[in-house]
Amino acid sequence: MKHTEMILIVEDDAQIRNFIAYTLKQEGFPCQSASTAQNALVQLVSGQFDLVLLDLGLPDYDGMEVIHKVREWSQIPIIVVSARDMDSEKAAALDGGADDYLTKPFSATELMARIRVALRHSSRFHGVMEQTVYSVGGLSIDLEKHQVSLDGQRLHVTPMEYNLLSLFFRNMGKVLTTQYIIKEIYGPGYGNDTQALRALMAALRRKIEKSPAKPRYILTEIGVGYRLADE
Amino acid sequence: MPAVSFHHKMKDILCMVVMVGVATIIGYVFRTFRFPETNIVVVYILSVILTARLTDGYVCGIAATVLSTCAFNIFFTSPYYTLSVDDPTYLITFSIMAATSVITSALTSKEKQMTADAVRKEQESGTLYYLTSHLADADSINSIASITVSSISTIMECKAACLCFDEKGMPERTFIQQKNEHEQIRRSVKDPDALVHRIENLRTDYDEGDEFYDWPIYGSESILGVVRIPKERASSLNEQQKRLLHSMIECVSLAMDRLRVMQEKIRSQEEANQERYRGNLLRAISHDLRTPLAGIMGTSEMIMDMSEQNEPRYELAQGIYKDADWLRGLVENILSLTRLQDGRLTLHKQMEPVEEVIGAALNVIAKRAPEREITVDIPDEIVMVPMDAGLIEQVLTNLLDNAIKHTQVQDEIIVAFRKDEQSGQAVFTVSDHGTGILDEDLPKIFEMFYTTKGSGPDARRGIGLGLAICESIIRAHGGTITASNQKKGTGAVFEFTLPLEESE
Repeated sequence: MKHTEMILIVEDDAQIRNFIAYTLKQEGFPCQSASTAQNALVQLVSGQFDLVLLDLGLPDYDGMEVIHKVREWSQIPIIVVSARDMDSEKAAALDGGADDYLTKPFSATELMARIRVALRHSSRFHGVMEQTVYSVGGLSIDLEKHQVSLDGQRLHVTPMEYNLLSLFFRNMGKVLTTQYIIKEIYGPGYGNDTQALRALMAALRRKIEKSPAKPRYILTEIGVGYRLADE
Repeated sequence: MPAVSFHHKMKDILCMVVMVGVATIIGYVFRTFRFPETNIVVVYILSVILTARLTDGYVCGIAATVLSTCAFNIFFTSPYYTLSVDDPTYLITFSIMAATSVITSALTSKEKQMTADAVRKEQESGTLYYLTSHLADADSINSIASITVSSISTIMECKAACLCFDEKGMPERTFIQQKNEHEQIRRSVKDPDALVHRIENLRTDYDEGDEFYDWPIYGSESILGVVRIPKERASSLNEQQKRLLHSMIECVSLAMDRLRVMQEKIRSQEEANQERYRGNLLRAISHDLRTPLAGIMGTSEMIMDMSEQNEPRYELAQGIYKDADWLRGLVENILSLTRLQDGRLTLHKQMEPVEEVIGAALNVIAKRAPEREITVDIPDEIVMVPMDAGLIEQVLTNLLDNAIKHTQVQDEIIVAFRKDEQSGQAVFTVSDHGTGILDEDLPKIFEMFYTTKGSGPDARRGIGLGLAICESIIRAHGGTITASNQKKGTGAVFEFTLPLEESE
């Protein structure tokens, strides 16, 4: 299984760089690596990459700055790989433009799963811009007809629930921070009131999940936000 | 004290008698020279005023008036040497003389009193000012005591002493006493327990001991010490001196209280600094352990990947992986613990849906042990409970982790939730049908660093942090956590509660 997507590993710890590089090669992904933020930015500007694995604790600059700089010109998927695990830091990285966040230590399986999701998400974004029907498992949404169906059955949802669901489908596999969702659903200036979103989410889950405490579709990332499961 | 005032009175009476006597002699001289009688009356009035001026209080002045009137009557009006008078107009002279004397003597005494009061007040305020200004510079309880002793000794003209009490309200072993004008000595306290007992049960202002009279220094919370005045001096203190002593002790108590508060503040600040330092250190260590651990785990995974399952290399790599994974758990627990200690004040409570928290915990467990099926039993309605969701998720994850460790794959694990409206509590339960908890472990299971002695040789070693963390988290939320065994069959039941209403 040969892949063509080029991945850049930005990590100052040689051991982890080697291990990630090996894992990627095993999976057939070509990759390059950088051990400083400067070097990473140089490579990103000059080369063609499809995904970045970024460590936040770099010797020269903070990884957050790399995210901000890259986002000035590119929408390339960025997966943050960091030893920092404060919820606020995760949310900051995600709000700053990162696509996903992986806390060290992690397993090779988990890393590959996240990479696959991110790549699929970005290729869908770039390839078929006009896609209007998305589906995950038995749940699907038709953005043109404004319809949601579950296991082939038409599902009745309120306009708010529909907005929420379509937001997740348009960002499939990506963690959406609570802040971001509130801004998208209720509009800017709504503030930081998470109560309404929690209630809306609970109501939507009662419609799409068999057991709301064991969600199949919309997963909770406590302290950060939500994610629509991709597989 | 009575002896002294008696002595004073005798002096006053003598003064009065002498004054009236002198006036009478001058009167005789005047009469010899045939001066008008008015002059004699005026001389008597003068004697009354002088008596009032030189004696204490009103009594002598009034007595002098009566005495002068009588003397004038006896010696200078006919018939001489009797109290009777021939000329009734003298009665008018007597009454005017008496009235004038009384009024002037009263005015004189009053003026004298006021001057004395003013002088005393000035002296008192001077003393207090001196004391407070010196106390302000004091940097320890002992230097306060030393300043107090020297001030009181100077003012009261005695060898005063001061015994300080420590923060627990117990006396120090020695007290400071003034030896002479420039020197102070430390003496040991005889029978401190009896002294404390006497001071604590004091009904009057001071305690009369064998060597000293002791005035307690009351602080805002406890007794800060006693000021000791030698018995012979203390017994002769008058009311004003006692009042002054009181004011001084008041100043001392304020100064001591202020110092105590300051010391307390400095100490707690130091403690907080140390705590923060320790937290930072632990966090930095744990943090720096994560990256190499990721490397070790990833590399051993890589080696496992490269090897066949029956190769010895695979087994070795797997051993490395498992140990690294155990270390990872340890690091995570230490991190949570330090974060929890930091977060003692910043528990981030919000209304959170119970299902989300349980769901998130199950999601974490599903990654670690994908082969395990966990049953969820929660009500259909949406229940919101105020909590720090990240922390409660951790409690659930820890409890579920434990359940998985102590059960076989086929054993059922149940996460349940119910609302107890009566007690206003949200009740979470994690139960399993595994080996259960040994009776001897039950009472200590939430203690930090407690690990069971009952597990077999194969059991994975723990460090006794997981449940201690759970307990800290639940307690910080104002809830309780309990551990027990299944009533039917074997297995452990962990139950924790959270208040349904925000307590603040």
